[in-house]
Amino acid sequence: MNVKSFGITLGKFASKQKALVAILAMLVMMLFFPTNFYTSYNLIDMLNSSSVLMILAFGVTITVISGGCDLSIGGVMVMSGIIAIKLMEFMNMWIAIVIAVIFGAVIGFINGFLVVHQKTEPFIITLGMGMTLTGLAQHLTDARPVTGSDPNFMMISNGRIILSFTNLVIIMLVVLLITHVIMRYTQFGRSCYAIGGDYDVARYSGINVILIKWGAFVICGITAAIAGVLLSSKLNSGSSIYGETTALVVNCAVVVGGVSFAGGVGGIFQAALGLLVFGVLENSMNMLGVDSYIQILTKGIVIVAIIWLDSFSRKRKRERV
Amino acid sequence: MRKKFELRKTFGSFFTNYLVLVAIVLLVLVTMIVEPKFLSSGNLTNIMRQFGPLSMVALGMTFVIIGGFIDLSVAGTFSLVAVVTVSLIDPIGQVPALIAGLLLGALCGFFNSVLILTAGALTQAEALFITFGMSLVYGAFALITTGGAVLNMRDITSSISVFEGIGQGTVGIFTVSFLIFLVCLILLYFFQSKTVMGRAINLTGGNKTAARLAGIPVDVSIMVIYTLSGLMAALGAVNQFARVTTAAPVMGKGFETNAILAVVVGGTSLKGGKGSVLRTVLGTLLIILMSNCLNLLGVTPYMQNVTKGGILVLAIWLDNRKPL
Amino acid sequence: MSTISDEILSVKDISKAFPGVKALDNVSFSVRRGTVHGLVGENGAGKSTLMKILSGVYPKDSGTIIFDGKKIESTTPIKSMNSGLAIIYQELNLVNSLSVGENVFLGRFSQMGGMRGIHSKARVLLDSIDCRIDTHRLVDELSVSEKQMVEIAKALSFESKLIIMDEPSSSLTCDEMKELAKIIRQLKGQGISIIYISHKLDEIFDFCDIVTIMRDGQIIDTKATAELTRGEMISDMVGRTIENEYPERPQNVGETLMEVKSINTRKLHNISFEVRKGEILGLVGLVGAGRTEIVRAIFGADKARGHEIKLDGKTVIIRKPVQAINAGLGFVSEDRKLQGLVLPFSVEQNISMGNLDKVAKHGVLRRAAEKEIADKYVRALNIKTPTIKTKVQSLSGGNQQKCIIGRWLETGPRVFIMDEPTRGIDVGAKYEIYMLMKEIAEKEGAIILISSELPEVLNMSNRVLTIFEGRITGEFDPQMVSADQVMESALGLCSLEVHERAQEI
Repeated sequence: MNVKSFGITLGKFASKQKALVAILAMLVMMLFFPTNFYTSYNLIDMLNSSSVLMILAFGVTITVISGGCDLSIGGVMVMSGIIAIKLMEFMNMWIAIVIAVIFGAVIGFINGFLVVHQKTEPFIITLGMGMTLTGLAQHLTDARPVTGSDPNFMMISNGRIILSFTNLVIIMLVVLLITHVIMRYTQFGRSCYAIGGDYDVARYSGINVILIKWGAFVICGITAAIAGVLLSSKLNSGSSIYGETTALVVNCAVVVGGVSFAGGVGGIFQAALGLLVFGVLENSMNMLGVDSYIQILTKGIVIVAIIWLDSFSRKRKRERV
Repeated sequence: MRKKFELRKTFGSFFTNYLVLVAIVLLVLVTMIVEPKFLSSGNLTNIMRQFGPLSMVALGMTFVIIGGFIDLSVAGTFSLVAVVTVSLIDPIGQVPALIAGLLLGALCGFFNSVLILTAGALTQAEALFITFGMSLVYGAFALITTGGAVLNMRDITSSISVFEGIGQGTVGIFTVSFLIFLVCLILLYFFQSKTVMGRAINLTGGNKTAARLAGIPVDVSIMVIYTLSGLMAALGAVNQFARVTTAAPVMGKGFETNAILAVVVGGTSLKGGKGSVLRTVLGTLLIILMSNCLNLLGVTPYMQNVTKGGILVLAIWLDNRKPL
Repeated sequence: MSTISDEILSVKDISKAFPGVKALDNVSFSVRRGTVHGLVGENGAGKSTLMKILSGVYPKDSGTIIFDGKKIESTTPIKSMNSGLAIIYQELNLVNSLSVGENVFLGRFSQMGGMRGIHSKARVLLDSIDCRIDTHRLVDELSVSEKQMVEIAKALSFESKLIIMDEPSSSLTCDEMKELAKIIRQLKGQGISIIYISHKLDEIFDFCDIVTIMRDGQIIDTKATAELTRGEMISDMVGRTIENEYPERPQNVGETLMEVKSINTRKLHNISFEVRKGEILGLVGLVGAGRTEIVRAIFGADKARGHEIKLDGKTVIIRKPVQAINAGLGFVSEDRKLQGLVLPFSVEQNISMGNLDKVAKHGVLRRAAEKEIADKYVRALNIKTPTIKTKVQSLSGGNQQKCIIGRWLETGPRVFIMDEPTRGIDVGAKYEIYMLMKEIAEKEGAIILISSELPEVLNMSNRVLTIFEGRITGEFDPQMVSADQVMESALGLCSLEVHERAQEI
């Protein structure tokens, strides 16, 4: 294998694994600056900060792969966190948590109804749903964080049972594994890919497209609720501030990782990588003392660039002459 | 039998078309009774003043939606134009600053369209994400320009007469901002219903493929709708900061959702192809009335967001069920 | 009553009608076990409708189907597959983003033992037809021939007793055809019956034991291939011209109006031809041969580079539809609902949308002018609509088409491209459109006509070009040759090669 073909193979790999390359590039870049980036504390902290969003991403990925889209996850996340914290005040903590998760499932069910059964455009109707839920969350908390009442609650996310990893990270890895297994090794998961890849072919093959696509929305709602509970646990408070732009950012991150909006491609690990790109980006920018406004700018540019590339590659495919 | 079915269909569509209108009219009536402050001149002026900025943004948004797309970047453009214009008053003078601001808004919008066209984005979803990203970019520029600070016009410069005139001035019984709105409305209505480009935008939203094959300049239409949206956002920003004489780098926040809401509530379909600026005016009025009434009735601003979100979901759902 | 019939499939008196057209008219035929049964007929003969009924995509209006000894009342695609009747469509039914293994067992993931199970079982199936493709490869990366093998493996995975192949060789190279031929013989050896639908008559003669010929929704004949000649088969397929009346062809054909040189795209190879003043030029070919691609390339609707177009001897640059229109081209596209009309808009607006510059002055629309143009064409073309403000979606197909034609007429095109202009239109409206076409050609313009109805294109055209696999294979004067000869040319030369090679095996 000569240099040229090696170069070409490398180029092809790089264009397929955009997220991985971006992460590696940033990791390499950070080697050149004297910061605390490469301390075990920071690396774990980086994982910890991204974990909640990662869990959100895993659920959304299932929806996107099956051809849908869910922008209500931010709203579901904050609402479940608040529900859990508020209910904890007069009932068993675990029951409160379960109710919060059921809430997520219900919202997912409603989203599924609107998109799959009623055939509405998913992105804007889930956006509206997210707005409603965020507003509700703000209303219930008067836009001020509500502190948790049960001391054990904090430990769910923040306790460190295994080594020095927070429980949150462990739970995130568990969710990662579970969703990965579902998507890769179960009939449900493979059917999601089929539906996202070609709805009609999937339908003709006897796959119950309606049930499965609807189910994907429900699962997404559940994971968003779990993320919300864990977030509240992490901060020991139910807050509504993260509701607004979270959904859009997470959806974009998932595309960054390689899960296309067209559906039928991508996977959980890719979604995790996509989120990690933003996680590493934020962490390194913080380490480098980059102005917070420039951070927002960078985030915006990354989002636009990735979506642009995603659309452009589809355009090239369409026009193959 | 057929006549009965048709009657039911017409009544049904009337109902869904005007469900929100009826609901808000009822709300206004209820508020008038419960809280007579509603009819006070102070409150009515308040309503008129809030109407200005939102109406500008919503009018611009109307064309984007008629064309079959969407623009989430208006919030960022709004903030950016506000801070840049205010910052430029001292160096280059009021009127030049004003012109520069409007051009900036148009440029932001134009740039959005370039991104969308070069990417070959055909769907509303792709446009949603691209304009969302640009919203962050423009908003970040606004923050960087002022370092996060709120610019108080009076502190920066002594010459704010033009803007004061825009914001507070009156001509007869009308406020200047209302007159600006009226002029814009007339021009845009004319544009939409009587010009070739207006028709081209309608057709692009109706069926992009057919329009292109028939020789309609679809790409140009897309550029026009976004540039116009940016320009209108800029006008809205001027309207806003002229009134309060301060420009905050986050002042655009929420305008994009309110604008979309105004368009949808007014009766323009998100599917594109049909709609009217007149409907949007109604929608804007309804949204502002709704906020105003709910405020007077003591409903928290958050619950208002809940209502707005709920209305959006309802409106989209019902709109989807309507046959073409 | 015998328990095991030697017929795997028996179809009696099947009829199926769609709005405005009778697709199948009392069709009866049967397929014997272990045979390869050919099915031929032109575009629109009813073959595909029949197959879709058998495979459960459409319900039948009447008639009986007995498959493998059991009567089939109503079925769905998956039920049909499960009972042993598989169909491999021309537009392959695979999910491009999934692997070969997954596609073979689509929807049966857990049944087959998960990822490991489907890949190992798929491997076995592919090996049984001598196919070396790695089951982990994505279908997207495969060639058409390889995709077909995946479909065959899929059919085998259902232990199919009857496999219907719809135009399996339309996109294959001659070498790939040999592979397919081998597989078909293998399947036959395994006792599987095959219905082989193809336009390539040489393949029918090579592989099929029996052939059924269809025309206009009816079965014309079923015979052993050994007892039939090629000429007889084509005659049966084409038949005599139907009672539809056509106006006289345009008379005064003049010199060259438009020249097209060297269109080369992925699908098209070196397309060059000319169009003469006052003529109707017909493009004849199979579905997918490239006719629409040619006209779209000329019109600037698709990307194509390196070709040249001359009008009246002067080169014109056409990269987008707007430029084509300015140069004097018009295009009534194939799919009027998706590409021609803006359905929720009015008749008036659909007509004016191609002529906005004519109804506007300085960029301002003049409603009076718009109304005038719309009225003009409603009258001239006899468009049946309550008012010009009526939404175009409530009009019948024929009237919708007339709106589009009216739109284009107003632009005053020199060369008017019409792609399937009378599809889905009733007989009366068809004649009106034929008259229009004659008028247009006679007014010093020209028409390029694409139609899948052979009688239509032969009767209307002054000249006919046959297109096969992206190439022009022949040029004919319909008044001097028979429909059979044109058809032969549209079937291309490759089939002759296959025929020769098949003789060698």
